[in-house]
Amino acid sequence: MKSQSIGQIALAAAAVAYLIGVYFASSPVWMGFTINALVIAVIAMSWNITGGFGGLSSFGHAALFGTGAYASAVLQVNYGVSAWIGFAAGILAGAAMGAFIGALAFRYGLRGSYFALVTLAFAEVLRICASSFAFTGGGSGLQLKLAPGLANLQFADRTVVYTALLVVVAAVMALTALIKYSRFGAYLIAVRENEDAARALGIDTYRIKVQAMAISGAFGGLAGVLYLQLWLFIDSTVVYGSGISIEALIGPIIGGAGTVWGPLLGTLGLHLLGEGAKHLLPNAPGLNFVLYAVVLICALRFLPQGLVGLAGKIGASKKKKESGDA
Amino acid sequence: MTYKIDRRDLLKVSGAMVAGLAAPTILRAQTSTIKVGVIEPLTGNLAYNGTQSAAGAKFAAEAINAAGGIKSMGGRKIELVIVDAQSRPESAAAGVDTLVQAGACAFTGATASALGLASSQAAAKYNLAQVFSIGTAETVVSRGLPNVFRFTPGVNKCTSVALENLKLLNQGAGNVVKTAAIVHEDGPFGSNMAKILAEQLPKQGIEVVETISHPTPQRDFSNIALRVKASKADILIPSNYLNEYTLMARALNQQRVELKAIYSILGGAASNIKFVRENNEVAQYVMDCNHWYDPTKDESKALAAKVAEAKLDMTYDIMVSYATIQVIADALERGASDDRQKMIEALAASTFDKSIMPYGATKFVNGDNVNSQPVNTQIRGDKIELVFPKQYASAEAVFPIPAKK
Repeated sequence: MKSQSIGQIALAAAAVAYLIGVYFASSPVWMGFTINALVIAVIAMSWNITGGFGGLSSFGHAALFGTGAYASAVLQVNYGVSAWIGFAAGILAGAAMGAFIGALAFRYGLRGSYFALVTLAFAEVLRICASSFAFTGGGSGLQLKLAPGLANLQFADRTVVYTALLVVVAAVMALTALIKYSRFGAYLIAVRENEDAARALGIDTYRIKVQAMAISGAFGGLAGVLYLQLWLFIDSTVVYGSGISIEALIGPIIGGAGTVWGPLLGTLGLHLLGEGAKHLLPNAPGLNFVLYAVVLICALRFLPQGLVGLAGKIGASKKKKESGDA
Repeated sequence: MTYKIDRRDLLKVSGAMVAGLAAPTILRAQTSTIKVGVIEPLTGNLAYNGTQSAAGAKFAAEAINAAGGIKSMGGRKIELVIVDAQSRPESAAAGVDTLVQAGACAFTGATASALGLASSQAAAKYNLAQVFSIGTAETVVSRGLPNVFRFTPGVNKCTSVALENLKLLNQGAGNVVKTAAIVHEDGPFGSNMAKILAEQLPKQGIEVVETISHPTPQRDFSNIALRVKASKADILIPSNYLNEYTLMARALNQQRVELKAIYSILGGAASNIKFVRENNEVAQYVMDCNHWYDPTKDESKALAAKVAEAKLDMTYDIMVSYATIQVIADALERGASDDRQKMIEALAASTFDKSIMPYGATKFVNGDNVNSQPVNTQIRGDKIELVFPKQYASAEAVFPIPAKK
């Protein structure tokens, strides 16, 4: 495990300070806004497993997000299953969907833009299916009953919600770190760097990629379930729409794809930017999206390794500057 | 020369100084505004409707303030806190935090049921009342949330009234309509409507001969128009949004599809003056059952003039949003308080009958205004006329469409 640069430590410390600072903010706006950002950060972390570590850029992570959310919602609404079982089922369904998409796409050797398009198509097909079948609530979507309580995984006190989300985000980041520094992670990075060379070295690249999709699916499903438990309502456009897929990839790209902190930093940074723009220019709705686009273009042009890569250059030794690790 | 200040003078000066210092505070207390929230999608795919709704709320607040504000509260003015829901449920819910921080006593919104469901759920935790401008899904009022008030009719009432009106129109015309084609978008709104129509139309003796769904957005309607033509349906019932509705109507005209009626329920464009203005020929005689104001009221006429002055389209979004602010203002007037709980109580007891909508006295039962109703409109010339119910009608309904010469 490589040591971090001063810049990276400072960046992570700033994020942690912000997340702790939210507890002391007098305004409920910050907590509400950060709760939203944390849910999106989880789907960004899901994308980071395949897109960041494995180089398998997906344009359709909403397929995993939506499947997790729908699996839990269908079980709870149609079959009266406990929210906790729904929670677990959502994660498993996301993992299964990820493995299925991966197995199908990689079986036929799809890579790069072809893989991205297949994931996009999956999300779109699932969106149409979810809006057509009665058991998914058709076009009306599914709604959980508002019943705060631990048994229903609903909390009236938002500080509890926020704390629970922080624990979940920390757990997902810990798992990401574990994956990154494991043998499996090394294989995955090898696939990203040169798949043919990895295969020549004896790595079962197909198995590694499908496993990565399953793990990514589990995280994606988790994000979907979190969304459901927070807002208690889903429909096909909300959870399978392209907006979720875009948010899933934009955070890691800005923050630093293939890093542990990148998805969280990118998502938080972008949301803070958008929120700031909204407050500074309240009479210009939509300007936050323009800012999003400008930041994305600048990040792609000047920060190929994202915020973490940039921070890595601050206070790093010459040797470490080349790695940009976090 | 020396000045001698005695105790009496000192008291006088001190008193004057205290009064002087306190004056701005007292003045502020008297003139501080009452914050009313507006959560609407100002960006995203619902931006047009959301922007129109926000404009409607502004017109209402201006009118109320110009008439002296909330009189029971010393003439305090209404100040709107407008939040962008970004056409996303989670943003609509997050918007509630902004309203609470700003000190809003109640709010209106949010154009689409999905947004309103999320915002009202979040508001329930703060005991903050939401008066739905538009929220047609029945789940809006079936959750038992005490902070939810839907002023306008839901989809069930709109559909049943629309079908009842269609039955009357058809009977009046000698039952000329015997077959129907349904064209609907494949989202929540269109799919649900198509399902209800497929169940209900046969009960009226109208056979559904074709049902066509399409995604949103959809740009080419030629094939859909040809399928409608091939079905030889007497009436077309579309359920889609503004752009698709417009393109569909153009395609029907281009393919010379002869129909006895185009009859929408909560139609995307059929009650939109933009559609009438830009597609006047194809828009003629299109009928809709939708939210609409009572055009005979003086306040409605004043609103129409203001909307025209602001160079905006007069749409139902403006009308219902205007009316919901009227409802909130009435609750403030009666409750004489901007306390959140008192607002909920005042709204629950509302019997307001002076809104611009063609409704009876407001009566919320489980949050649903049982005295709300949709009306039938018909495009005639360059106007949208109200044709049903008769007491509010500005023109007689033309049914079926006169044959083209």
